[in-house]
Amino acid sequence: MGPPMNPVARPGLVGVSDERTARSDEVDDVAGVAERTQPAPGTTAAVQAEALVKHYGGRSGTVEAVRGVDLRVEAGEIFGFLGPNGAGKSTTVRMLTTLLSITSGTARVAGVDVAREPDAARRRIGVALQEAGLDPRQTGRELLVLQGRLFGLSVHEASERAGQLLALVELEDAADRRIKGYSGGMKRRLDLASALVHEPDVLFLDEPTTGLDPVSRLTVWEELQRINGRGTTVFLTTQYLEEADHLCDRLAIIDGGLIVREGTPAQLKADLRERRGLGSDPTLDDVFLDATGRTRDRVAGDVQEVSA
Amino acid sequence: MSQAWVLGQRALREGWRAPEALLPVLFIPLFFLVVNVGQAAKVFPSASTAFLHGQGYGAFQLPSSLLLAASFGTAALFLVEDIEGGYFDKLRATPIPRSAIVLGRLIAELAKGLLIAAALVVLGLIFGISIASGPLGFVLLVALTALWSVVYMGFLQLVALKTRSAAATNSAGFVFFPLLFLTPNLVPRDLLTRPMEIAATLNPVTYLMEALRSLILEDLDWGQILPGFAVVAVLGAIMLALNVRVIRNYD
Repeated sequence: MGPPMNPVARPGLVGVSDERTARSDEVDDVAGVAERTQPAPGTTAAVQAEALVKHYGGRSGTVEAVRGVDLRVEAGEIFGFLGPNGAGKSTTVRMLTTLLSITSGTARVAGVDVAREPDAARRRIGVALQEAGLDPRQTGRELLVLQGRLFGLSVHEASERAGQLLALVELEDAADRRIKGYSGGMKRRLDLASALVHEPDVLFLDEPTTGLDPVSRLTVWEELQRINGRGTTVFLTTQYLEEADHLCDRLAIIDGGLIVREGTPAQLKADLRERRGLGSDPTLDDVFLDATGRTRDRVAGDVQEVSA
Repeated sequence: MSQAWVLGQRALREGWRAPEALLPVLFIPLFFLVVNVGQAAKVFPSASTAFLHGQGYGAFQLPSSLLLAASFGTAALFLVEDIEGGYFDKLRATPIPRSAIVLGRLIAELAKGLLIAAALVVLGLIFGISIASGPLGFVLLVALTALWSVVYMGFLQLVALKTRSAAATNSAGFVFFPLLFLTPNLVPRDLLTRPMEIAATLNPVTYLMEALRSLILEDLDWGQILPGFAVVAVLGAIMLALNVRVIRNYD
């Protein structure tokens, strides 16, 4: 394992509301992390993609899922990656996490080229994808111990780490029950815990709260803030704009395989307000609809084909 | 290799916790054994049938049941579950050799194969079948059957990785039936019709069956045993190479 990036510098929350700043301070208090500072110029980005392209070959021709994505996520950020179904969110995440080959362009995570040194990249990232990737026949504890062993921990170290993580995600009582009996929220929290076994520098979460009830969703939000408070960079895709607004320091909106907006939630809202000459602050929903060229009517009646 | 072993332990736990998937592996081969013996035992009385070497027809049929039991490959369906449920991606996101992911399941299949083959042979012994090649023959019989289960699991795992479909993987399992019936399944090869004899000679499963049969009916005859082990060695190497290649290029 390479040198850990944590504790990390966090980008300044320029233009972020008082509420968000307060939330950020609260997280720092919870985690006991020292005051964060602006990243020094030239520091290694947690995630950096340049001209990232993914084409899929199919019977009906080539599908251009991602058409040239440039991204830079600073260490310590919670970065939101938004977009309509089929926009290229999951494909981008899968390329960044070494799960999908890159057609062209480059991607570095924690300073490591994911295509050239996939194993080195895997040691620095944690991944929780859309479907909670769990084995229903194992217990929560067994799953975490196995994950630890695969990251090179001894049996004793893996058991100890599993205990810590079960406490972190408040699953100690269910630790020795088989996962198939877990609720959706418990599975999500266990999936999060398994992504943290090796103390990754960057945590990738693909729609971590999809399908969860409001209480479970809030619990996952709290976990994410706690994890981020400990210095882990979080790269999050979500369909829920209020989630992005609540959690993310910065976000990007992808549509048709291209980034169409990028900035802090406050910056994006301010930009839309200025461009449209609006009398009041727009919501992130308005920003999203503006960025993707959709209207509320069209989205409500849309039937969209989803592709990987 | 240690990571393959860790994953192998997990695959063994998985099998142990899904006994409903293991029961048919024992029951169906026993069913075929009973039915085939019931239908043909009178045609081939042990006293006057030279190829039985003094044993009953059940001893001649036991290799078919062993090969059938070794060719279920239910673990490949667990792999499809892993793929569909996202756990396979979780494993791919770890810094372990890609080969460990396929090797783990093959190690577990070997252990399960040893257990199932031993159970079937012991059941055969209880019902009067004897192993003419002695204790070493018993070990070779069980080992060869278990190695074949690894080879066939390698084939089904390949189908699972390529198709990512439970239906396709399940269907691929039935490929074994034509392979089984194009062997000297009911009588020795020299008693088959000419076209069937040619087909059986070209079928690698024939050499496995003849090796297993010789271990049950005769003293150690390396001329018949070694071709069986050669078949699993060659096909095993091919399956392993293809599995590793597919998983390395898995997108």
